[in-house]
Amino acid sequence: MERNRQGAKAAYVLLTIVMVLWVLSPSVVRRFNREAFTEFQAPALHLVGKGRDLARYWELKSRNTEDLVAASRDLARVNAALELKLAMMQDLRDENKRLREIARYTPPNTFYTVVARVGLRETSSWWHRINVRKGLDDGVRPGCPVIFGDRVVGRVTVVHKNSAEVDLITSPAFRCTAFLEGDDQGRMVVVDGRAANSLTPPAARVWNIPYDYSIPAGTVPKVVTTGLGGIYPAHLVLGTLEANLRNAQDGNFKEGVLRPGRDLFSLQEVTILVPTKPSRAEDLLSGRYDELQ
Amino acid sequence: MSQEKKAEVLPSTPIEPLRLKIIFGIFAVGFVYILVGLVLRQLVEANKFQDQYETQSRRLVILPPARGRIYDRHGYVLVDNRVRWSVRANLADLEPEFRAEYRKLLAAEKARDTTFIDHDHLRETAKVAVLQTWLNKVWYVIDENNKQTTGGKVLVKAAPLTALQDRIIHVEDLRKHLQDRRALPFTLISDLAFPGSGHAQTSEQGIRSVARFIEQFPVDGPVTLESDIVRTYPYGSLAAHVLGYVKDTDDLPEVNDFADLQIDSLSKLKYTGKKGAAGIEQSFDEILQGRSGWELWTKSSAGYNKSLLTKSDPVQGQHIFLSLDIEVQKAAEKALAQIKDSQGNVLPAAAIMLDVNTGEILAMASQPTFDPNRLADRVTANYYNEIEEAGGWLNRAIQGLYPPGSTFKVITAIAGMRHKVVDWDTILECGPSYRVGGRDFPEHDPAGYGEVDLNKMLAVSCNVWNYQVGVALGIDKLAEEARRFGVDAPLLRQITSPDVTSEFQLPYPATRLVVPDAAYKQRIGAGAWTAGDTANVSIGQGFLLTSPLHMACVAASLARGETRTTPYIIHDKGRDGVHLGATPIGISETQLNALRGGMQRCVEEGTARSVRIQGLPYSAKTGTSEYFKKGEKAHLAWIMGYAPADNPAVAFCVLVEGQLDTSTWGGKTAGPVARDMILAWAKKTADAPETEPGR
Repeated sequence: MERNRQGAKAAYVLLTIVMVLWVLSPSVVRRFNREAFTEFQAPALHLVGKGRDLARYWELKSRNTEDLVAASRDLARVNAALELKLAMMQDLRDENKRLREIARYTPPNTFYTVVARVGLRETSSWWHRINVRKGLDDGVRPGCPVIFGDRVVGRVTVVHKNSAEVDLITSPAFRCTAFLEGDDQGRMVVVDGRAANSLTPPAARVWNIPYDYSIPAGTVPKVVTTGLGGIYPAHLVLGTLEANLRNAQDGNFKEGVLRPGRDLFSLQEVTILVPTKPSRAEDLLSGRYDELQ
Repeated sequence: MSQEKKAEVLPSTPIEPLRLKIIFGIFAVGFVYILVGLVLRQLVEANKFQDQYETQSRRLVILPPARGRIYDRHGYVLVDNRVRWSVRANLADLEPEFRAEYRKLLAAEKARDTTFIDHDHLRETAKVAVLQTWLNKVWYVIDENNKQTTGGKVLVKAAPLTALQDRIIHVEDLRKHLQDRRALPFTLISDLAFPGSGHAQTSEQGIRSVARFIEQFPVDGPVTLESDIVRTYPYGSLAAHVLGYVKDTDDLPEVNDFADLQIDSLSKLKYTGKKGAAGIEQSFDEILQGRSGWELWTKSSAGYNKSLLTKSDPVQGQHIFLSLDIEVQKAAEKALAQIKDSQGNVLPAAAIMLDVNTGEILAMASQPTFDPNRLADRVTANYYNEIEEAGGWLNRAIQGLYPPGSTFKVITAIAGMRHKVVDWDTILECGPSYRVGGRDFPEHDPAGYGEVDLNKMLAVSCNVWNYQVGVALGIDKLAEEARRFGVDAPLLRQITSPDVTSEFQLPYPATRLVVPDAAYKQRIGAGAWTAGDTANVSIGQGFLLTSPLHMACVAASLARGETRTTPYIIHDKGRDGVHLGATPIGISETQLNALRGGMQRCVEEGTARSVRIQGLPYSAKTGTSEYFKKGEKAHLAWIMGYAPADNPAVAFCVLVEGQLDTSTWGGKTAGPVARDMILAWAKKTADAPETEPGR
């Protein structure tokens, strides 16, 4: 009995010592621990993603042959159309390059793409985030835009060795500039994610809409990136603007709700646009700015 | 058994019952004391402590509302609000960085074995250093001209958007901020996107800077991009005297939705708001201002705002639709700007156009003018003096007082006909001069005009005809006629605002208008009234003083066949065309037609023939009167009238102050402005849109 009591005391003492050590330990140690934990659980996340892929595989496998043949035929047609488009795009690319050389025009920042499978989806009232199975080893850096097709999915916030965390456009930590379809004057609006109620679909807020902008009758205007901020290329679709715009409190602007184009929480695969030249924001985040000073 | 043994091994020390009671008593007293104290604090003094808590730990921040917009009659925005993007640092969030920097500086001081360490100075230096670091980061991100060399080093000084001295945190600014507005974020860059602020060379570049900040800086960092509202005048100086401008004020509009907050005990902080300083901005300030909002914050021990408890948004002021027509206004100001003296300076002048039926003012221009955009934020002494020296503050259309000259002859003629001194077809012999009281009053044509009737008098602006009629009438009848037409009536009119109907004054109207008579001359100590004085008044000279708006109203009244026109600056589609104090002129239809015919002839072949418009006949009366400028005689050029001649819709009046070395004539100098206004009105009427923008 006495021994048991002494054992319990020892456990408490040990716990207290560990806690004190944790509090007193340098931030580098704590950060290392956190990173190590993330990396430790990364394979588990990887496995979850793989497991989902396998389930999907078996689901498809259970389809009958006729369905698969029909789907393959459709896919072949789409591939043929895309190949044709690719050839045309190549012509345009060559022409574009020739014109730039003539005009001695410095092209805007270019990107290379990293295709990544979605590993984990985290949703709460506070943030909307996905975890993708590409990381530092694949060249992914914090701040990179993430897209699917021509639509913005979000932005990379944290990068680990083999995975990265992406804040979706409905996350409160997301913010970017945009243009509204149908605004002839091309005035800039701002899109930011907002904390969603658990019972409502995810959405973002569009603000700084000029008071004299009205949605063209019978249309659902797209909200597209401006390309002015140095992070997102221009003309990517953020979503559509809901019809019920409301006046902002200052009376000079309106606010609206942006509905993302895709169901962000059912994405299987995304594309990360990695800029060939780091943005200024990356310099600040990575500490390169401090080295340059 | 073993436990019993242990009890024997560890015997308790016996305690005397008395001592025990004393100890219990002490504890009991202590507990009672604590209990009573607790009751006192929690129940009896609860309200007092609650008040103290609210006073000491909460702060009310009063937020200014956005002012209402001002539109022209067709819904074009004349005064708007634009967003001002500013980069601000939240000092409460930066407090840990301030402390770290302070410790670093302190260590450095100690390492130098300094005998005296000024800790306050070190803290201030630490704050400036931290803010400077953040400001550098902001510029690094938003200024695309910061190129990188091949070696990777940043060339911060390469073609910056703004001067380098504007990229430095000044300790005085920080000190003032901490003293006056410690709770509010500190502004690192003000008005980032506006080219006029000096931070951007073009508005596109400014917008790009804003976009770069929005996308590249973290949403919840200590440095944020905030927007507020600034008054803007999209057309610059257009109608500046009518619109006015705004100035800073701490006296924000009332807030009345504090709910159950005990605001008297709270510390308050007000943002700087704006209030009208001139023109419509001032006259309709209460309507335009709106209602202030508020935020209730908790305070940190350092005095910064810590967390937002609750808030009430400001409510924007109401919008106002003016009667002005932007196209006519533009035409008036463009034409006025072309009238210059021999040195190429713009001559002081005014132009007005009214709707004949409703009295609504379609254009009101005054030169020299100013750009209210340059007065909306902070007025520089240089710009203020520039306007002052040019005489640009004066709205000559309603504040200028001038002898109306020959434009007054229509009133002399009406008085003559009403009192049967002359009729429309009476012919008077008009030589080169007319002798009154032993003095010859000259005709402006040395040869004289011979036989002159009403029609010819108005066409050639014969002085002698008016001398004869005026002297025959006498000053009392002449003055009475002028007063019937409201030549000296103050401009107090009933104006309908968007929501309320009450008495409003046009912005700063002239009040010392003069229709002279014997009593007036006596009152100012100028002696007894003479027939010569009457002769002078009959041609709109002498003591007679009125404003261009009054003469425009006279023209509008003539066009309708009435005596008074009420000018309105607020647009109202339902205006009924009833004018305060208006009565029929009191002459026959034939006489009125003769009068109107004479004014039309003035344009067709008389003194205004140089500005006639092919296909659009209109009626006018010119005038060239004398006034004293710096003690010497100069000329005023006048023209007033209405258009079209057969179905009057608009009335106008133009005045130009001539200079000593510049010849000015009613038809030649003022006429082109009237012609351009009429053309602009005619074009606008022909192109009238079916729907009005901005509604």
